[in-house]
Amino acid sequence: MDVTIAKVDEIIGRYGKTEESILAVLQDFQREFRYVPEEGMKRLAGVLDVPESRIYAMGTFYKALSLEPRGKHTVKVCMGTACHLKGANQILEAIERGFSVKRNHTTKDKNFTVESVNCVGACAMAPVIVVDEDYHGHARSSKVVDILKKYN
Amino acid sequence: MKKVKIVINGKTVEGVQDQSVLSLARENGMYIPSLCYNAEVQSSGGSCRVCLVEVHQGKSMRVVTSCNYPVREGIEVKTDTEFVRKIRKGVLELLLCRAPESSEIKELAARDGITEPRFFTDGPDVHLKNCIACSLCTQVCEDVVGVSAISMVNRGREKQPAAPYMKASNACIGCGACAYACPTGAIEMTDTPDARTIWGKTFEMQKCSVCSTPFIPKEQAEWIIKTTGKDRAFFEKCPTHR
Ligand code: SF4
Ligand code: FES
Ligand code: FES
Repeated sequence: MDVTIAKVDEIIGRYGKTEESILAVLQDFQREFRYVPEEGMKRLAGVLDVPESRIYAMGTFYKALSLEPRGKHTVKVCMGTACHLKGANQILEAIERGFSVKRNHTTKDKNFTVESVNCVGACAMAPVIVVDEDYHGHARSSKVVDILKKYN
Repeated sequence: MKKVKIVINGKTVEGVQDQSVLSLARENGMYIPSLCYNAEVQSSGGSCRVCLVEVHQGKSMRVVTSCNYPVREGIEVKTDTEFVRKIRKGVLELLLCRAPESSEIKELAARDGITEPRFFTDGPDVHLKNCIACSLCTQVCEDVVGVSAISMVNRGREKQPAAPYMKASNACIGCGACAYACPTGAIEMTDTPDARTIWGKTFEMQKCSVCSTPFIPKEQAEWIIKTTGKDRAFFEKCPTHR
């Protein structure tokens, strides 16, 4: 969803005008816009009359919030011990090459955000990638780009 | 103010209940290293952990940060035992990993015999160079200056003070209090005859109408006028010509 002041205000209006609402509003920004936009944090600071620095501190603290627009799909490449031994690095590199994207960033077309993560708890299927909620086990660097191409 | 007696390094000294062990030790001429504590800043201390001391009470002993440990009747403090030195050595080794180029950290570490940390060190792109993430600067900005222009952002290794969105701050008044307070001189502030630059923002300086020496950023003077009601004429002359 595009970031508009009207939408920002609608989200801010869902909660009480108190400091306790900050995190809830930031989470809603993340859900609706797929990131926490600077305009949103500014507006929130103004409405609640709290320093922008406090809101920015929270925005950068939580892993669940992203200050950069995130892709439609999240690709998690497991870098845990088992996956690492089974060549997780080559898989991550294949994705980086195939979609011209660096780890922990988003593709130009905003379709994928690629993250390297630690053990996702499916070591028996190592190496593993997780696209949104789908687990793809025994991933191969030669196939992984084709798998991702199915996600639009 | 209740007076109490405690023992520090075998010497009986008198202090005020609840003052910090660190301040009482210093009043009595005893050295305890410190970085993140500033007596003028209520919320400061407890973060760098270089001020560790042993506190004995009856049979129990605890290692505590002396900058925020309250003086109470009957405690016995030891500031420089083998055990304290050993733990502080570990603390300084980690601080040296975080700020390997800071002369303040290097000096403290060297006193405890560390010149090279055994662990990997943070490069200049991980966080503000020389910053040990103690939060003193942001506490000064919020609690003493009252503008909250900067805050601690990110977390873990990347934790550091910054202005919102990593851009020049709207709220900053250019007072420089954060830079003066920083124990490792990590905050860059440059003064030229006309302007001061800090946190990516440049401030025009107010010049003295007598000697034309620049002495305060105009925005800071405006802030003081606005918050204290001080007379504008007060800021026409520098402190020496008032
Ligand atoms: S810049 Fe200085 S005062 Fe601020 S957190 Fe870092 S070390 Fe502490
Ligand atoms: S290491 Fe990858 S799933 Fe456990
Ligand atoms: S000076 Fe006491 S913890 Fe930093």
